[in-house]
Amino acid sequence: MKRIHGLFVGLSLMAAAGGCAGKDNLIVLTPDDSGRVGALKVSNDGGETVLDREGQALHLGDRRTSPGAPAPISDEERAFFAAALAAQPLAPVSYFLCFEFDSNNLTAESRQRLDDILRAARERGSQDFLVIGHTDRAGDADYNAALSLQRAEAVRELLAEKGVAAEVIQISSHGEGNPLIPTADEVAEARNRRVEVVVR
Amino acid sequence: MKKILFFCAALLLSAAFVAAQTEPAHIGRVKGTSGMVSIQRAGALKPAFPNMKVYLNDTLLTGSDGAVGILLEDNTLLSMGPMSRLALDKFDFSPAQNKYALQLRMEQGTFVYLSGLLGKLAPHAVSLDTPSGTISMLKDTNFMARFGGDE
Repeated sequence: MKRIHGLFVGLSLMAAAGGCAGKDNLIVLTPDDSGRVGALKVSNDGGETVLDREGQALHLGDRRTSPGAPAPISDEERAFFAAALAAQPLAPVSYFLCFEFDSNNLTAESRQRLDDILRAARERGSQDFLVIGHTDRAGDADYNAALSLQRAEAVRELLAEKGVAAEVIQISSHGEGNPLIPTADEVAEARNRRVEVVVR
Repeated sequence: MKKILFFCAALLLSAAFVAAQTEPAHIGRVKGTSGMVSIQRAGALKPAFPNMKVYLNDTLLTGSDGAVGILLEDNTLLSMGPMSRLALDKFDFSPAQNKYALQLRMEQGTFVYLSGLLGKLAPHAVSLDTPSGTISMLKDTNFMARFGGDE
């Protein structure tokens, strides 16, 4: 029995050595919008390595093989990712629509932006809109809670008029509690009289 | 009167229970597909299509001509190329309760990962299991990875 066990250990060691020679697995960092890369750590039974530089990749075997040191990535290796990169969805995008004072009427300028929102939705094939109403801090908080909801509902109406199905629009309202520009209470601030539309 | 109150309470509770049972919150959506893409859910395999919701414990699979992109609720963007398998093991994005977790299993294939709010607000709550070991985030990080799968 002992001998059989020894044979198995020998075989699994060979398998591990084979996996080590392969090292087909690969991790490479990519920059964010501002061009910076982050940092990650790979750990397994063989040890751990930090990857924190652009253009460097970890060439990895199985879980028993030490992650080793980062090394440059070749163009051939980058080409492995073409299909996954082509399938990458567009990131969600936010628009701010502004309102006239104490009103659920959009400013003329913001009315123009509705078409941008629809274009973003078409580009994304989106059926997922968040519409979030806000007010400035002029007036009473309860009144503003109601006004922010009316503003969100007004935007939902406008989107529905342009052909967006009501069931794909989620509305919510934050009253005066979530200003874009922090102000003292009772201050009228045009930039806070807004509805945020997120196209996901 | 007491009886009616009890009845109402029971009705409310059961309504809440049914809502919780039949509608677990989705954790993301399929945004785009090409070729053969499936979702394995509770043992059944179904074809994936754009705008389909994805849930915790789903596994996404692509065929030899397949590719898919998904958007998680925290804005994490994930895409994968042909012959890939990804399991969604853990997802909690509850900033109001300060609760964050993201755990994915990249079993095989090619992946592009673009960090979302979870990666920005709580990078240490993000961990990815792969055939080569565990990836832990030290900060907000985007990466690509390729795995041949467990032999």
